[in-house]
Amino acid sequence: MTSHLRTTSLAAALGLASLSPAYAQDGVAAATEAIASYSGLPTFTAPGPAFDAKACMADKKIFTIPASSAIPFIKTISDHKGELAAKLGFEHMVWENQGDPTQWIQGIEHAVNNGFNLVSLLAGADPRFFEPQVAAAQAAGVKVVTSHLTGLEQDAPAGVDAATAIDYKKAGELMANWTISKTGGKTNALVLVSNEALSTDSIVSGLTEAFAANCPDCKYEIVNVPIIEWATKIQPTVAGALQSNANLNYVIPIYDSMSTFVTPAIAIAGKGDAVKVATFNGTPFALDLIRDGSVEMDIGENLDWIAHAMLDAEMRLLCGQEAIRDSKVPLRVFSAENVAEVGAPADAAMGYGDAYQAGYKDLWMLAE
Amino acid sequence: MRQLNLAYQVERFGLVIVWVAVILLFGAMRPDTFLTWSNFSTIFGSQAVLVIVTLGLVVPLTAGDFDLSIAQVLTFVSMVTAILSAKLGVPLWVIIPTVLVLGALVGAINGALTLYFRVHSLIVTLGVGTFLHGITLWISDSQTIGGVARALMQWSIIERFLGIPIAFYYAIGLAAAMWYVLSYTAFGQQLLFTGRGREVGRLSGIAVGRVRLLSFVASGVMGAIAGLIYTGTTGSANPSSGTMLLLPAFAAAFLGATCITPGRFNPWGSVVAVYFLVTGINGLSVLGFRTFVQDLCYGGALVVAVMVSQLVSGRKERNL
Repeated sequence: MTSHLRTTSLAAALGLASLSPAYAQDGVAAATEAIASYSGLPTFTAPGPAFDAKACMADKKIFTIPASSAIPFIKTISDHKGELAAKLGFEHMVWENQGDPTQWIQGIEHAVNNGFNLVSLLAGADPRFFEPQVAAAQAAGVKVVTSHLTGLEQDAPAGVDAATAIDYKKAGELMANWTISKTGGKTNALVLVSNEALSTDSIVSGLTEAFAANCPDCKYEIVNVPIIEWATKIQPTVAGALQSNANLNYVIPIYDSMSTFVTPAIAIAGKGDAVKVATFNGTPFALDLIRDGSVEMDIGENLDWIAHAMLDAEMRLLCGQEAIRDSKVPLRVFSAENVAEVGAPADAAMGYGDAYQAGYKDLWMLAE
Repeated sequence: MRQLNLAYQVERFGLVIVWVAVILLFGAMRPDTFLTWSNFSTIFGSQAVLVIVTLGLVVPLTAGDFDLSIAQVLTFVSMVTAILSAKLGVPLWVIIPTVLVLGALVGAINGALTLYFRVHSLIVTLGVGTFLHGITLWISDSQTIGGVARALMQWSIIERFLGIPIAFYYAIGLAAAMWYVLSYTAFGQQLLFTGRGREVGRLSGIAVGRVRLLSFVASGVMGAIAGLIYTGTTGSANPSSGTMLLLPAFAAAFLGATCITPGRFNPWGSVVAVYFLVTGINGLSVLGFRTFVQDLCYGGALVVAVMVSQLVSGRKERNL
């Protein structure tokens, strides 16, 4: 019986062994295909049916609280939202702040006291820090939404009326798939995350699922570095990993602003040729690092497109339309092959085409 | 007498002995990766900026003053360097003296405000540092700026001697120069007298105000040098990251005051302290510990070292 079991196990193992190279090649091919489909110019997909935005919004006011006006990525989005609102002819106010939750609370109270219809918590102003104020605003008839905070599969946090999401999970998948594709299924990566950001869960689940599906034998270690400690902890963490793991071939900082501290650690260890960097956000300085060779790949989003998409979802909520969860804001993979399209030095809004502008114009029923 | 001398030597080199013990401990646990020249090259090469910031703090600390603005000087100079180099195309031979003068200017402002208005340096430098951070955010539009001239990176981390990035040797050179000035020049002695007792110094004929002003200027210049090397290390300038170096630098300065010349802020003690802390952090990273362990290492090492130093010296009363 035991001998039979052994024979069966051996046969199964041999069978698996003979199948596994093909299986591994399938995974690499799937990863390569996933990357290819996100490397070209993105197309516009309408998030919902068309509606007359100008007429519906004529007597309404939107109040945007950005996570921090000192972060260019977020400030650009909130400024562009204001410009679009001016074009559509309704009142929009941005609550300038420096990322302090007490300032967010002042903002939401200001919105309630000044007759705003909707408060948009933009790109990181996390309502879990001020749930009582959210409930008070809702009780006063003000809708509260999070915009560009959660991933598609994450529920609206802290009881807000709607959460317009970004496909963070896809970003995580693309980072994993990039390394699988480039190493031919031999990824050995250090993944740097910051757990306090809500989007991290979504990105990490995409990353781990892509590795599980396309390269179960790939190795990766996930290390949490809180945002406030990026400047002091990332470099020694990467340096330590480069020493302890001689086969390391990728560092994946899941937010590209981390790469400022990753690239020196690789340079000091003299491993620029062996260890590559793949990351997410499309921040201009990180795109410039692709040009000089210290970052290999960065997944970007168009900030102006995000402004259109978030405002679209917020207007729909006020106009009695169905709430939008999937903003349909596309991601694009930037590498040495297409980085020239973002300009030199890189511009946050270049490299994504302009199909979305005409698309939203039609969607909002704006005349030429 | 002999016993006293032995106790003093143990106190002087206690941290060095613990450092060697830490190296041996990590070496025994991971001989294949920790005890390699490439790892020591990483340990020495990656923290030159922290050494220079710590050395910068040591000068005003010796004179009895605090300079909380040094990390903001670093960040400001780093941003000015990146903007001048990447955005305006100014050559490095113009940038380097310009930013050194800027650092000296900030130091002079710190000194002038502290001395003229007789406000504690802690408050003045906190205010000036915060003001500088505002300017840094303003001129950078809160952006990280990349594309700095490659020569700066070349002469910070790419050029190597014995496998260690050249920035390490700048830090050691500065420590040696500071050691010479503090130990063998009239200014060094005046600085020490000023720190030990301003009134005594004044009555002994030392121009205490001038000495304190110069200590702030020296600190500003050191902050500027650290800013230049920081920009060369990362190849870019980030409007807030350098500010995080302030507390580790203070930890290293206080830890350094427990060794080599115990009871005094001293350059070689500071160098040993930085590399002792960095060795601990590197070893823990190599062993795969989580990042919070680094804080345990920094905080724990500081408290334990100061306690042990006090025990060895018979728990004498100390101001700092």
